[in-house]
Formats: sequence, structure tokens, C-alpha cells
Amino acid sequence: MIGILKSMATTMKHALDGSTFTVEYPETAPDVSPRFRGVHKFSQERCIWCRQCENVCPNDTIQIVTNDQRQGEQYNLHIGQCIYCRLCEEVCPVDAILLTENFEFTADTKHDFVYNKEQLKAVPWYKDIDPLAAREPDRDAWVGEGEGEVDYQ
Amino acid sequence: MTGTTVAATDAASGLPAVPLQDTVLLPERIGELTGLDGFGLGGELLATFLAAFLIGNLMLAMTGVAGPWAKRKITAAFTDRIAVNRLGPAGLFIIVADSVRLLSKELIIPENADRPAYDLAPIVVAASALLGFAVIPMGSGLHLADPEVGLAYVFAVSGIASLGLVMAGYASANKYSLLGGLRAVAQNIAYEIPLVITGMSVVIFAGTLQMGEIVAAQHETLVEIAGISIPTWYAFVNPFAFVLFLIANFAEVGRNPFDTPEAPTEIVAGYQTEYSSVHFVLIYLGEFLHIFLGGAIIATIFLGGPAGPGPAALGIVWFIIKIWGVFFATQWLRSAVPRVRIDQLIEIGWKGLLVLSFANLILTAVIVGLIA
Amino acid sequence: MSTGLERQPAVEVTEDELEAIVGDRALARDNHLNAPGFVIRPDDVQDVLKDLRDEAGFDHLANLTAQEYPDRYESIYHLRKYADPTQEVSVVVPTTTDEPVSQTAEPVFRTADWHEREAFDLVGIDYEGHPDPRRILLPETWQGHPLSRDYDQEKPQLVTLTEHANPIQPDHHDDESDTMFLNIGPHHPATHGVLHIETVLDGETVVDVDPDIGYLHRCEEQMCQQGTYRHQIMPYPDRWDYVSAGLLNEWAYARVAEDLADIDVPEYAQVIRTMGAELSRIASHMLALATFALDVYGDFTAIFQYGMRDREVVQDILEDLTGQRLMFNYFRLGGVAWDLPEPREEFIEKTRDFLDGLPAKVDEYNDLLTANEIFQIRTHDTGILEPEVAKQYGCTGPVARGSGIDYDLRRDDPYGYYENLEWDVVTKDGCDNYSRVLVRMQEVEESAKIIEQCLDLLEDWPEDERTVQSNVPRTLKPDADTEIYRAVEGAKGELGIYIRADGTDKPGRFKIRSPCFHNLSALPEMAEGEYIPDMIASLGSLDIVLGEVDR
Repeated sequence: MIGILKSMATTMKHALDGSTFTVEYPETAPDVSPRFRGVHKFSQERCIWCRQCENVCPNDTIQIVTNDQRQGEQYNLHIGQCIYCRLCEEVCPVDAILLTENFEFTADTKHDFVYNKEQLKAVPWYKDIDPLAAREPDRDAWVGEGEGEVDYQ
Repeated sequence: MTGTTVAATDAASGLPAVPLQDTVLLPERIGELTGLDGFGLGGELLATFLAAFLIGNLMLAMTGVAGPWAKRKITAAFTDRIAVNRLGPAGLFIIVADSVRLLSKELIIPENADRPAYDLAPIVVAASALLGFAVIPMGSGLHLADPEVGLAYVFAVSGIASLGLVMAGYASANKYSLLGGLRAVAQNIAYEIPLVITGMSVVIFAGTLQMGEIVAAQHETLVEIAGISIPTWYAFVNPFAFVLFLIANFAEVGRNPFDTPEAPTEIVAGYQTEYSSVHFVLIYLGEFLHIFLGGAIIATIFLGGPAGPGPAALGIVWFIIKIWGVFFATQWLRSAVPRVRIDQLIEIGWKGLLVLSFANLILTAVIVGLIA
Repeated sequence: MSTGLERQPAVEVTEDELEAIVGDRALARDNHLNAPGFVIRPDDVQDVLKDLRDEAGFDHLANLTAQEYPDRYESIYHLRKYADPTQEVSVVVPTTTDEPVSQTAEPVFRTADWHEREAFDLVGIDYEGHPDPRRILLPETWQGHPLSRDYDQEKPQLVTLTEHANPIQPDHHDDESDTMFLNIGPHHPATHGVLHIETVLDGETVVDVDPDIGYLHRCEEQMCQQGTYRHQIMPYPDRWDYVSAGLLNEWAYARVAEDLADIDVPEYAQVIRTMGAELSRIASHMLALATFALDVYGDFTAIFQYGMRDREVVQDILEDLTGQRLMFNYFRLGGVAWDLPEPREEFIEKTRDFLDGLPAKVDEYNDLLTANEIFQIRTHDTGILEPEVAKQYGCTGPVARGSGIDYDLRRDDPYGYYENLEWDVVTKDGCDNYSRVLVRMQEVEESAKIIEQCLDLLEDWPEDERTVQSNVPRTLKPDADTEIYRAVEGAKGELGIYIRADGTDKPGRFKIRSPCFHNLSALPEMAEGEYIPDMIASLGSLDIVLGEVDR
């Protein structure tokens, strides 16, 4: 019996201390860490159309269309299909695509989630946090840099 | 349909005892107020219907608050969460929202369900609890009837619920429901006997089965501690019986640690699995009504019914507080105590509680015999 | 807190002794990167495996891979020892393409039962003498074998139900007996995911249990075979055991790929990896405890919510470190993606606060769970899994350690930074649900010890030596026909991956050895003869995650 009474006392303590672990969202917006991987933001000015992001994406979420002179025409990213792994940001040599912390996005149908480059450019920063500032010291950890053998496949 | 006698003068203080029990029962009062008692038997019947309507609504309103709102709030307090707080003041309009939602769901009836039994089972479960409230003295004049076998009536009527459970389990044509129904009836049978026998030990104290008299008999003062007079509530006189009755009551209403008939993680929802919309509402409310009925019985025979400080007109308030106390205890146990397995449950009932309740009965009889 | 069980020192078996045991049944040698391999005939399987088990002591069938080459099919039995997992041997069984029949290994190792069913299901090899040759992951009506070379994705893959058994038809298997057949799941509040258990009940007693898996089969192996080693495979292991054990899964892949391509990991990265993996383990065990409480206590129990609340703190820490709360994608081949977040002191402070609050929480769980008498009578002596039976089924992780088997890959087959840290392996002798719960709770405390030591190391690490990733070429092309099997101690047990490289930058065969798959196959042993509530509690104590069972 003692064990049962101890269990009951433990839950009663929680009931009586009045504090809650949950918050009232959306009035209280949660704090996300600066490294949180949310919706992508694309900058056509920086993009050099190297197609590294398209190649590395694990489930073919990015689609790039260029004309014969290798000038970029379309950059489509299906943010509903994306798994937010951040590999595209990691391999991009010019920081043209990066993942903001923004996780609040809605659409009416799944097809509305295919963002073209204007929509990707218009993605807002979450609470005005620039993710690159949080990751700046680590940008040199980018793969391939250094004295080792590099393979530009 | 006259009422009971009033308790005697308070021995300790010499003041005239505040009558807890009005001599007038509710049907008579309503008859007086509306002038229906001038119409003979028809008028009396109509007044009785009105009284039953009032008490039934009061109980259903309480379950309406308890089910959608209070259960969520209490569970949230135990689990460090904020529960319903958007709709209305402190989230009370969730009751309206939930009722509309539940009643608007599609009524899905399995193909092989045994129709009359399938439809009647929820009604039996809910109605048996409501019937029990007829003889409970709730204070402030809200007492519908006071037969001389009141306590036996309450036990008998609340036992009809097991019939409802087994009907629900068998008629649903679903193996999970069958398992749930069989477990329910095994559990109810096992714990009915300790419940009744412990109730009998209270009857030995009070000397009568009449609910009004039992309440009146608890009005005397047991002892004076620091100026506060502790009344002769049978919970203080015989706490052992009180605990036994509480445990047996939790098993009867199917609450943790004895909620095997509707164990959600084992047999989905037990006997309730195939019920939706109105049927489900009836079973759901019926379950809460049974908890409140159990609380009402405990309040009446162990906690002095509507007794409490203040004028007699506040009796209903104290009564409701006591019922809610029992409800709160069920929610507390639900958050902290695991459920026992069905064979362990039967063992505890037949070997543990039965022996203890018999011992309690014999002990009570001996003590009362010695004192008297 | 190890038990007093003496760890039997394993007898070192040299390669010559292995050759002597296999004898002339070996047609050829086919060495894998970590184990000597012997090619044998399909009808010698049972003899060779039995000899290896009885004479050489290889009592753990870790993995059974099936694959198809242009000219043959192959089943590869990878054996290890519970006493010393660094000793491994592979038995390769080739069969012809037109009639791939091979002898079953089930009489020697019970765990081969489900593995061979999967090999038949996905690749198409028939196992002669198998007691139950049904498909396991794909539905019964599936046509073809997806991982074989001649699988045509354009053709219809299912036949209609009119040509197959109607699943909702009431069927009376045996009108004479008084047992009842009950389908538990796939829609059920207690199966941890979509799991279908076909039970035969005699009253409330369970007579027969047959788990039916495959509802969450997502072709992970095939998807990994279509991704490059360097980058594209790494997000996928997060999704096998998705309940926060993501970093442990990623470590399995990182370990096997690094051993395959001979990549070194800097020491600093190893420390970070160890810390992150142990945080993942804590989160996973919290969830296991919480859902076990749900199974035993019923809904609305407070323990589930407290477990979630505690796990939330771990997820916040991992979010600061990796960027996501559940699907981390943090490890890279050669290290980790990035260093601790700036400012370092804040992150270390936050983790230390969590570790300081952990003993109080564990005490709370003790008050609520282990000290509770009703919980004790529910979980003592239920779900008994004897150690010999567990070894036959290939059970690893807390399930095995709760039966007294002292097997933990972090200590026995060391990787990461574990051998330089002070910690204990927790084993209990009870073999019942209660000991498994206790093992998990105490493992949380051991993980906290490891994290504490890692934090101390990371704090004092000299600033110019903080390399998080070694130099790895952007494309990895391991040599063709190299095969390797490596495992790590995942949250649920030994999570292993077998990779065969075919000279391109994508794996030729990627086979995942899932611990939950093996643990779940032991459920019939644990549940038969007991009551339904005990079976549900046993299922909870196995702590399966369907994402890992079905892949």
C-alpha cells in the first residue's frame, strides 16, 4: 500500500505546484534554436547554377531548369516533400540557398507547396534571425576543403 | 410519502438540532408550490415527475460538467499541462462544443449487432444510475423519496448496470466487446458482495435501512476537538469500513486500479468499442453517473449526507462537494495507479475484500452489541 | 551496476581453426572486411552452422543478407559470439539463378525463421525445410520480389482481394476447439505503431501469438541503395528508429561506411558523437518507459506525460546541437556536421542543468513505477524470456540485458570514445518485464554519467584542436566486391548494417540488421501461456519501433 500512496503523493505534488510545462501557442511563440532547419530561402543573385543542391538532395526535391547558355530559368523546391536535411545548404558554395528557422507555413493543397524562386526569395526570417550568423564559425567545416585529396566529380 | 422524523436536540451544545432532513419530500413541496396537490392522484404524479425531472437534470448537469471539462482540467493539473481554456470562461463552453460534436457523429451500427439489446444497453447503464438517485437525501429539500428499504434499493438498482454492460459486450458482435463485457460482469459480481456487506455494517450502526434515518443518525457529535465538534460520521467511527467501501466502490464503477473492462490499451474500449454518437454519450455519461452515485452513497452513509457547517439550506452544496471529492479521488487514482490484471482483480475481490468485509461486519456487530 | 555474472572469457578462435572446423565443406574463401568468409553448398548450411555454433562458440546469428548477382543468388549468414562480438565469421551460400533453393538454418538458429522469410519476400530465395515460408514484410498478395534484379516496377504488384482471402471475413479455423481468434491491431492503442498481432485466446489466456509486420515497410534498404555514400544516405538512418534514437542510427551508418572506405574520425568528433548518442539514448529510454506506463496504467496516466516532459528537455538540447528535434542528420562520414553551438558555455550549462535535474526525475519515476505494489505484481514474473531462448532469437539490447546476457557493443566491440570513459553495463537476472524496465531506467543514469564526462572533456578541449570532420573526398567509391558488416549499440539493441560495394558511389547492397525485428520475433516465447494484459505489457517492455522492424 505504501508504494501506491507514494505514487499518489507524487502526482498530487505536481497538481498542487501549479506550474505547467506547456505554453499557450500561438500567443507564446516557442524559442527555436538558431540552428533549427525550417523553410528555405533562395537568393538568385548569389546562385551560380552549379546544380550541386539538385544532385545532393536525397529525394529529388529541387528542380533546376536552365537554358542552353546555362543561365538559370527556374528553381523549384517542393517544401512539402523536402525532408529538411540541409544538405543543399551544406554543399552550396555561395550560400544561395539556406534554411531559415521559419516553420509556420500553410497552403491549401499540396501543390501549393511547390515554391518557385520568387516565393523562395520571399520567405521571411523567423523572428528576424539570420541563420548564417549562427553558423558562421562552422562554415569552414564544409566538405572537401583542406589539404586532402579532393575529388571534383 | 411523509418524511422522516427530525434528529433530537443536540446533546453537547443544548441548542435545538438543525434539522437536516425536511419532513417534506420534494414531490410534496413541488405540489405545494405549483398547487398540483389539489388535483388528487394525478396531481401528485405530475408533481413527482417534476421533482424527478429536477433531480435528474441536476445530476446530468453535474456529469456534463464532469465529463468534458472537469476530467480534462484535473488530468491536466496532474500532468503539468494547460487544458481547455479557450472556449468561454475557463473553458466551460467546451461542454457545449463537446455535446454538439458527440451528438452529431454518425451512428454506426455493426452488421451483426443484436439490435434490441444493442440499443437498450446504453439506456440500461445510464438509467440504472439515475434511478439510484431517487432515494438519496441531498439536502435543501432535494429528496425524492424515502422508502424504508432505501439502501437496499440503491444497491439493487446500481447492480442493474452489470446487466447493461454484459448486454453491450455481447450484442456488439465484436470480440473486444465480448471480452470487456465478460470482464465487467466478473468484476461487478466479485465486488458487489463486499460492497453490500460493508454497507450492512453501517446499517448495524444506524439500525435502519432508510436513507433519511441514516443521515439523521450521523448528526450527533462524536467528540469535541479544539472547539470544533466532530459529528458522528461513520467514516470517523469506522474508518476501516470506509476504506473498504471506497475500494469496493472503485471496483464497482470500473475505475483505476480496477478499470479492466474498458482497458483502452488492451481491448481497445472494451464493451464500448462499437458504440458511437448517442449510444456512446449515454454510456459515457452513464459511467460518470455511476461514479457520482457511488459518491452519493458514500456521502450518505459515511460522510453524513448533506451535513456541514452553516444553515440547512446549504445542504446541497456540501453534498455536491462530497460527491466531487469522490470523483476527484477517482481521477487521482487514474493518474497514479496501474490497473490490475483480471485474475489478480478477482483474487483481491473474492479472497481479500470479502474476508475483510465479513470481519468488519462481525466486529461491528460485536461492538454495537456490547455498547447497546 | 553489472550483475555478479561472470563474463565467460571467450575462447579466441583463429582462422586456421575455423578452416579446420568447416573443413572441406568450404568451396572457396570469400573474406569480408571484418570477418573470414566461407562459401559452402546450399545443402550444407545446417551442418556448418551447427558446427560453428557448437564447436567454435558462435552463438549469435547477427545478420542474414540475401542478394542477387547477375549469375547467382547469395545468402550470407553472419555469425558472432555473445561473449566476444569482435570474433565474426561469414558463411556465404550461393544458389543458382533459375532455381534458388537453399537449406534453412532455422533448426540451428531460431532467429533465421524471420530472416529467411524476409529474404524470400524481398529477394526470392526459397529455403527448404522452413517451417513457415510466408511473406513477412509485403502483403500476401504481392507479386514478385522487389530486391531481385528482374523485378518489374511497371507491372501490377497486388492481386485483388477476390482472388485472395478476404481479411474481414469471419473465419472459423476450427469449429471444434473453444479458442477464440483475435486480431490485435493494426489499429490499436497499445501496439507501438502499426503492428498486427494474430492471437488465439483460450478465455483470457494466450495460446498462440503470431506477429504480422510490414505495415510500415518503406523500402529503406532500396532507398539507401539509390543514394550516394557521402551525403545522400545519411538522412535516412534517422528514420529507422524514429523515436529520438536518430543519432544512434546515424552512427551505425557512419561506422560501417567509415570502416568500408577507411576514413578516420578525429578524436574531438568522437567525443561529440558519444555525447550526442547518449543523449539520444536517454530520450529513447524515456519514451520506452512512458509508453510502457501507458500499457500498464491505462490512458491519462501521469507517467507518460512526465516522460514526454523530460524527453522534451533532451530534444531541446539536441535541437541546439543539431538543428532538429527528431531527424537530426548530424553525423557526417568523417565526423559530425558542426561543432557545439556558440556560445559554448551556454550550451554546456544547459546540458549540465539537465543532468543535475535527472536524479530527481529518476527518483520520481522510482516512486511512480518501481515502488508501486500494483506495478510490481503486474510486471514481476510476466513476459519471461530465458537467456538461452533470447540468444536463439538473437535478442540484444535491454531485452537481452534484462535476461542476464551481458552483451553491450559499446564495451565489447568498442567504437567512439566509450573505452576511454568510466561507465557500467547494466544487466539484471530477472528475465521478466520488471527487470527490463529496471535495465532501462538504470541505463539512463549510466548515459548521464557518460555525458557528464564528455562535457568535461569538451569544455577543456584546446581550441585549435577542435576538428569536427576529417578530410573526406566529395565522392566515395569503395572498391568493388568489398563487403562489410558493422554494428553499434542502438537504443533497442545491436543495430547493424551490411554493405556490399560495387565500385560505384552508391551501395550495391545495403542490409539493415534491426534489433527490434529480432526482439519482436521473441514475443511468442514471452507471451504464450500468459494473459492478454501480460502480452501487452511484454510488447511494451520489448520497446519496438515499427520503423525499425519494417524498415
